[in-house]
Amino acid sequence: METGKISGLQMAIMMHSAILATVILLVPAIMAKEAKQDLWIVPITASIAGFLALFVIIQLHKYFPKKTFIQYSEKIIGRIPAKILSFVYILFFLQTTSVMFRQYAEFVSGNFLLKTPSIVIIASMAFVCAFAVRGGIEVVGRTAQLFIPTVTILFLFLIIFLFNEMDVENMYPVFENGIMPIIKASSSPAAWFSEFMIISFMLPFLKEREGGMKWGIISIVSVVILMVITNITSLFVFGETTVKLTYPIMSAARYISVGDFFEHLESVIMAIWVLSVFIKISVFYYVLVLGTAQWLELSNYKPLVLPFGFLLTVMSVWTPNLPELTDYLKRVSPFNLPLFYLVIPTILLVVAKVRKLSTTH
Amino acid sequence: MRRKLKKILRSNNQKNKQTTTGDQTTSPADKTPISKNIDENEKNLRFLYENSFDVVFREFSIARKEKALLVYIDGMSNLEEIDEHILSPLMKESIDKYYESLSVLVKNVLSVSEVEEINSFNRLTQALSYGKPIVLMEGFDHAVAFGLQKWDQRSIEEPISEAVVQGPREGFNEVLKTNATMLRRRIRSPQFKMKTKQIGRYTTTEIAICYVEGLAEPTLLEEVENRLERIDIDGVLESTYLEEMIEDDPVSPFPQVLRSERPDTAAANLLEGRVVIIIDGTPLVIIVPSTLFALMQSGDDYYNRYMAGTAIRWLRFVFLFIALMFPAVYVALMTYHQEMIPTALLFSIAASREEVPFPVLVEVLLMEFTFEALREAGLRLPKQIGSAVSIVGALVIGEAAVTAGIVSAPMVIVVAITGIASFTIPRYTASVSIRLLRFPLIFLASFLGLLGIMLGLIMLGTHLCTLRSFGVPYLSPVAPLNGSQLKDVIVRAPWYKLNKRPHFTGDYNKYRQAPGQKPGPKKGMGD
Repeated sequence: METGKISGLQMAIMMHSAILATVILLVPAIMAKEAKQDLWIVPITASIAGFLALFVIIQLHKYFPKKTFIQYSEKIIGRIPAKILSFVYILFFLQTTSVMFRQYAEFVSGNFLLKTPSIVIIASMAFVCAFAVRGGIEVVGRTAQLFIPTVTILFLFLIIFLFNEMDVENMYPVFENGIMPIIKASSSPAAWFSEFMIISFMLPFLKEREGGMKWGIISIVSVVILMVITNITSLFVFGETTVKLTYPIMSAARYISVGDFFEHLESVIMAIWVLSVFIKISVFYYVLVLGTAQWLELSNYKPLVLPFGFLLTVMSVWTPNLPELTDYLKRVSPFNLPLFYLVIPTILLVVAKVRKLSTTH
Repeated sequence: MRRKLKKILRSNNQKNKQTTTGDQTTSPADKTPISKNIDENEKNLRFLYENSFDVVFREFSIARKEKALLVYIDGMSNLEEIDEHILSPLMKESIDKYYESLSVLVKNVLSVSEVEEINSFNRLTQALSYGKPIVLMEGFDHAVAFGLQKWDQRSIEEPISEAVVQGPREGFNEVLKTNATMLRRRIRSPQFKMKTKQIGRYTTTEIAICYVEGLAEPTLLEEVENRLERIDIDGVLESTYLEEMIEDDPVSPFPQVLRSERPDTAAANLLEGRVVIIIDGTPLVIIVPSTLFALMQSGDDYYNRYMAGTAIRWLRFVFLFIALMFPAVYVALMTYHQEMIPTALLFSIAASREEVPFPVLVEVLLMEFTFEALREAGLRLPKQIGSAVSIVGALVIGEAAVTAGIVSAPMVIVVAITGIASFTIPRYTASVSIRLLRFPLIFLASFLGLLGIMLGLIMLGTHLCTLRSFGVPYLSPVAPLNGSQLKDVIVRAPWYKLNKRPHFTGDYNKYRQAPGQKPGPKKGMGD
């Protein structure tokens, strides 16, 4: 079905932006609510969920090295239950992907294109992503390799330009309220980190078969580092007021002034952010399409790409607007994301271990 | 009547097709033998070359006895040599004793180095059309073709479309043999191979597939030959005819082969394991496989000191993006993101735009179209008028339009910089693609601002990631990444650092030089 092969680095980069792209905008504010000035520690604690998800998936991958999650669930819990489970997963991926589209549209239409109808913004992105997904995992991997390093370097540059505005005092006192607020604050980003489960849909196409664990860990660590940098930036620039901002990093970008000439670089932030959102959505879109094709046991997933593009566009128009979305991300995501990304795979792993399935499938 | 005509035409086409695709010695049309009777042969030949004033038939007698016929195409053969080395020895009475077989004659009488014995009309016409004079003799069912072609050709000149400041000044010309010689003079190894092949039902254009044995991957060579084999076309007049028939992705704005008129560029590519296709009748050779970065390189990069070469490469990348995006960014900034423009600049732009009646998009399109038209006109016009066009362009479009308030001065600057930027791209085909892609980006910018430009760039990037040229990813070595190869892409590393041939084409024979050749006093001492 998928004939392409990706390198470990490509996989790491894809996973990197699959986690980071949406987190970087919304989540600092959510984290700051509980953790206050300790929000920079939160990504580190939250990443445990990522490592867990990675560990579980790698273990499952060892049982079925050439199969994805949808395919091997059948071998573990039997055909009929697996088909039902996979269907639920596909619905779940459909919903999460459309939420991503919505987040993207809310961000763009709320900050830049105030009068453009959001369906235009969503549909244009869906079209571009469909173009990449049609090319297969190889093309998504290569575009990620092309764009994400550029995005990261530009992002770090922008942060360097913010050095003037930063105030280290905002960080103190560290651990003012003990460790509990940090753990509470971790719940939301931990949900995001558990998204690492979708690495299951990439491992079978990895060129270096043994490199899955290594590159997964590299990917998680790079996400943690960038999240810490982001949180520290918004903490140093805004201090306690981070909580009140919807998009702290965007607001921080307004302070950038290089030689009194480059000012108001929010649009640049948006432009480079769009690149990483493109990768994120493409990865999930690909997982959705590939998963569906494998669920239906089709020989090719390409005919599904465009129909799903339409479906995603419509679904994301149905998705609620920003205030409700933020509420959803705060209250529902910490439960439903780990359920699908962490708990169910763990159960499958336990079942596989108990049934002592041989690794020679 | 018409049906009959069609039938003849069809059979004629089929015959031609067989001569191009089939093996020369086995095709059935080839079987028409040359008769022992010279009068019959002459009749046949005269029938074939009816209404061809340039085919000359000259009857003469060998040793004053036997009837013989010399056929050649006027203007394609060297007449002096024919007189001296064919006619005059054959007409001498003293050669009587050698008149027993062709090979004896050839061995003892004819002082021409390239001689071929021919036994079919098919091969005969082919040899004739390549300018070889033919001699037919009474009593022999063989003809002799002599390699005495000679025609006028353009002298070797400096390549116009790929000028370098310092470096070889030779460029290919239109004659395959001359071009092949230029490559042979650069790569003198016997491992440098050139396979010839004919393509074109009517033109039977000769092409040569050149490669260095042991450097070029055999599978690549096989693929090139297979793709060329499939071609069945009336004629090949320029390398683009072939390019479009052998490309991987025909619906792409990007050229997937490299075309060059520089022998040094071709030789450098041969040494990196690529395959060069020379086509008779055009100075542009095809180099495969190619990558986007190969299109962005010029010979000058390697003929300058490496630091300068690197700097120029970076400059080119910057101007590539300017050529692609500058008008689009201007539209996006003026329409959606005015806050990004520094206040003072915004005021001055607004002041100069005050009188302009059009929206920015219309203004940009107006100017871009005019500029493209000027450029096209400048290319097509005779040289003497060319300067007039540039004066009209500069004065009327530049000055008068601004004074009249039709376009704003900043717009003129934007278009001018974009124009200059597109000239910095070293390959003409690549710069044409970039010029084309500018327009969709302008429209996207006017619809969705910077977001539109980003979406356009993402599309472009994705498309480039899907492209392949003869199996080599178009964006290699950036995506897929190969870190060690970046030193001849992002920078131009000095030669002592470039130990490995490029990835993909060079994998067959990895190392191009001995390692550790960095000059320096310590190594030079030999301690």
